[in-house]
Amino acid sequence: MIEKGFSNPTPRILRLKEDLLNAKPEIESERAVLVTESYKETENLPPVLRRAKALEKILTHLPVTIRDHELIVGSATKHIRSASIFPEYSFNWVEKEFDTMEHRAADPFVVPKDVAKDLHEAFQYWPGKTVSDLGNAYMSSEAKQCIGAGVFTVGNYLNGGVGHITVDYAKVLKVGFRGILDEAYTALEQQDKNAPDYAKRKQFYNAIIVVYSSAIQYAQRYAEYAQKLAQSEKDATRKEELLQIAKNCSRVPEYGATTFYEACQSFWFVQLLIQIEGSGHSISPGRFDQYMHPYLIADKTASKEFAQELIDCIWLKLNDINKCRDELSAQAFAGYAMFQNLIVGGQTEDGVDATNEVSYMCMEATAHVALPQPSFSIRVWQGTPDEFLFRSCEVIRLGLGLPAMYNDEVIIPAMQNRGVTLADARNYDVIGCVEPSIPHKTEGQHDAAFFNVAKILEITLNNGRLNDKQFGPQTGEIESFKSTAELLVAFEKQLEYFVRLLIEACNCADMAHGERAPLPFLSALVDDCIGRGKTVQEGGAIYNFTGPQAFGVSDSADSLYAIQKQVFEDKKITMKQLKAALDANFDRPVELKDIAEGVIKDQKIHQQGLIDTKIHTDHESIRRLLDSTPSYGNDIDEVDMIARKCAQLYCLEIEKYKNPRGGQFQAGIYPVSANVMFGRYVGALPDGRIAQTPLADGVSPRQGKDVNGPTAAANSVSKLDHFLASNGTLYNQKFLPSSLAGDNGLKNFSSMVRSYFDKKGMHIQFNVINRDTLIAAQKHPEQHKDLVVRVAGYSAQFVTLAKDVQDDIISRTEQHF
Amino acid sequence: MQPANYDTQGTIFNIQRFSVHDGNGIRTIPFFKGCPLSCKWCSNPESRDPKPQLLFIKQNCNECGDCIEVCEQKALSFDNPNFIDRDKCTTCGKCAEVCLPKALEMKGCKTTVGEVMKELQKDATIYRRSDGGITLSGGEPLLQPEFALELLKACKEKGWHTAMETTGAASKKTIEMVMPFVDLALTDIKAMDPGVHLVATGVSNKVILENLILISEITKTEVRLPLIPDVNSDKQSVKAVCEFVKKMHNVDTIHLLPYHTYGEGKYDLLGMEYTMPKDAKMTTEDIEALQAMVQDMGYHCHIGG
Repeated sequence: MIEKGFSNPTPRILRLKEDLLNAKPEIESERAVLVTESYKETENLPPVLRRAKALEKILTHLPVTIRDHELIVGSATKHIRSASIFPEYSFNWVEKEFDTMEHRAADPFVVPKDVAKDLHEAFQYWPGKTVSDLGNAYMSSEAKQCIGAGVFTVGNYLNGGVGHITVDYAKVLKVGFRGILDEAYTALEQQDKNAPDYAKRKQFYNAIIVVYSSAIQYAQRYAEYAQKLAQSEKDATRKEELLQIAKNCSRVPEYGATTFYEACQSFWFVQLLIQIEGSGHSISPGRFDQYMHPYLIADKTASKEFAQELIDCIWLKLNDINKCRDELSAQAFAGYAMFQNLIVGGQTEDGVDATNEVSYMCMEATAHVALPQPSFSIRVWQGTPDEFLFRSCEVIRLGLGLPAMYNDEVIIPAMQNRGVTLADARNYDVIGCVEPSIPHKTEGQHDAAFFNVAKILEITLNNGRLNDKQFGPQTGEIESFKSTAELLVAFEKQLEYFVRLLIEACNCADMAHGERAPLPFLSALVDDCIGRGKTVQEGGAIYNFTGPQAFGVSDSADSLYAIQKQVFEDKKITMKQLKAALDANFDRPVELKDIAEGVIKDQKIHQQGLIDTKIHTDHESIRRLLDSTPSYGNDIDEVDMIARKCAQLYCLEIEKYKNPRGGQFQAGIYPVSANVMFGRYVGALPDGRIAQTPLADGVSPRQGKDVNGPTAAANSVSKLDHFLASNGTLYNQKFLPSSLAGDNGLKNFSSMVRSYFDKKGMHIQFNVINRDTLIAAQKHPEQHKDLVVRVAGYSAQFVTLAKDVQDDIISRTEQHF
Repeated sequence: MQPANYDTQGTIFNIQRFSVHDGNGIRTIPFFKGCPLSCKWCSNPESRDPKPQLLFIKQNCNECGDCIEVCEQKALSFDNPNFIDRDKCTTCGKCAEVCLPKALEMKGCKTTVGEVMKELQKDATIYRRSDGGITLSGGEPLLQPEFALELLKACKEKGWHTAMETTGAASKKTIEMVMPFVDLALTDIKAMDPGVHLVATGVSNKVILENLILISEITKTEVRLPLIPDVNSDKQSVKAVCEFVKKMHNVDTIHLLPYHTYGEGKYDLLGMEYTMPKDAKMTTEDIEALQAMVQDMGYHCHIGG
């Protein structure tokens, strides 16, 4: 029997999960108030020390919270799943959205009156002083115009922390924060005092000493609080647990872990502290099975069941962390996504299989907890045991969209192509959605921007005009093109122009972080910041990248092929007719609404795009003709090769550029959930797509267009050059649960994955849920609070998603076995 | 042996990829057009006629009239309740070519072994990974013996596992020529009683039953029994089939395929009449009882393909 099934979670795990599901996210003001007070006191200090002092103040005064039944402790907020505010990055939007935040469509938060008042007072300090202010001051008006028109966005890092990193958890588990303090003291002593940057280096080491000393104290506060709770605890078992918690927190993370329990608690403090220091998401635990396994083996007292419960507890804590984004970003990262990517399996630095007992326990934990965090992933290579792949297929069959699967055979050479050593490349993990990275050696700015390739095509078809004004270069009116090749040349020129502006915008945000938000806590856990005497934000990491993501690749490919076939080859319509039909949005009404604000006033346009109404005009016939053109996702070389070309053009253009940290730009092709939001900025396209409707997600075929079955769709996707998109590609497939039933289902499913990876696909993930279930959940959200689905590079509670994102998920083609 | 002739022509009406119910692993199925039987429950009525056919899917039609303009036979008219005058229609396919909403669709096309192989080749990786392969189905593949033979040879040259779904309705010569290239035969038995068989399928089962024994002597064979209410789904009929299977060579597996009405809609699109009673249905209990009986007689018994 291949199927093994899953054990039941303990009652504690079920209770803690229940609390998470019932929590109503709130905004809390403590962190914002503390950081503001500290900044007022440190105006004369260098930035890195100001950051250190601010974190020190937060860790000294932030309320210490231990939730009922917890075994692993440490919370950034008093209430479950609540969020702090980070005014040092940006604050305007918070104040502007106080009134709407509770009732907005995507990721609502309650803002209590007194919290709003505290925040309002704190914000008075910040105008002109934020990372966002500096980034914007650097940025040209052309780049800003592109952002306004939906060509690209860099809002993620312009308005918040960078995050997107894996730190050296193993180091903390081994030497504790004391070990890091020792390292900083030693570095400070051994510095060449005559070096030109000595003063700056010194401040960095001092900053490390400040933050790690206060972090040790922060854990001590938890130890004392647990002790206090234990004294008044009536229940003997819980009393015992609290005393153990007190013991753990007084030992770790200050010193190295001596038990598996201590290792878990130590891991959690690191994970938490990074997310208190900065507001960046995608703080990815990475290869958890690799660095935790030695502690499990060494611990002769912890039972297998208890060790499993501890891992389950970590999984729950990862769901307790939350972040509040502005309304527009909340739509792009819908579902309170935190993207803490945790990956198991794959190979070691030496190139042998790395699967171990903890890898399997992580699968069990994912089944037990069944929540969106961590973003659980597995690595697959030729040497991956079948048993491991079968087991992950069994987890996928639960319908959580987890784990996502990554192909070592593509990612390792793709990393080497970016100058990473073989040993480091073999040790890769995944950040956030789908971004390969070398753990604790990389500042990848993996989610630096979204770039709307479909919009570039629209601009190309308008001879460089954007909203009726000349913006890009003049590359020819649409009627002047005689072949797809000519059109591609024009497309490439527009791409060149707009990518240059994209790079500029990314680098503006990057510099602003280096100057205003160097992060000493994070940096001490990334190689080789201490050696180089620089924070991560200033180029201290060994590998430095910036990764802006393209989406709309399949829409562009389908559009170009529709033009090639219907205009140039079959001569069914002329370019002039096509242009008129596009300008008229195929005779469908375009609703003028404030799309820049991203306000979804109603769903009318969206629905009209999807429902084939019986409009009967010439433009409508043209739309039907275009729509009937064979499309990407059906294993048809003619159109798939255009998709490959579109993706390549973007990747090769991106990798020409450098970032201020001395690293290279590298492209990714994935949308998070931006394909829905950015679709609203894009007019009618030659593939028959109606204006303002969603674009295709990632490298997946357009929704509902892959009609030749899952292998045909996967083959199309594998024809893209995934090696070049080294910042990650994302391919979603959706299956009916019945199609994966039994041992045969598992075998067929895993051979499908192996085969896609043989063909050099990079990543694949699955939603295994009945369409009917999704529709039912949309109608009766209260009955489906626990339904977790794959959105893009991450999973989310379905009922927390805005309706148009839900619709998009429902509309992705369902594959039958 | 002569290499496969990639120019050999034949008529198919579909190539279905990613099938997991007709042989091991993940398979691709070319459906051959044309069948000597006319089982009234047939779920692929478009497979019967050896020639290409025109389908009309009314709900897709937006009444643009483009098809009427291109039809040289004047076979199409909105005044005709059936839209197509099938006596006039020569199935030239021009109307389907211009029909954008896909209301008119041609079922079946002349093709070559080479063209089919191009399509089969696309999933070669997954045949390897899943121990899958190719299954010829139909219609009746043996009705186009040359085409089936050359296609099977071509598959064997690639090292792929081959299977064939067959009624056994063919000449002995054909079976002896083609079946050595088939790794797994999935043979249907509709009814043991000659009279019942004739009424239900339009042909006698005498030759068919002889052929099934022959097939099982040539290659590994599994038997499939479509369970049709009021035709062959009673215990007595199923038992009779099992007893016959004992005469075949080394058959250890019998599949029971419960009756379904998925094909009903297609009759209408083809201008054909569906003659099965509307209320024909089987309960899960009935099917499980039959399965138990087949197992008691010493066979592996799967429900469904």
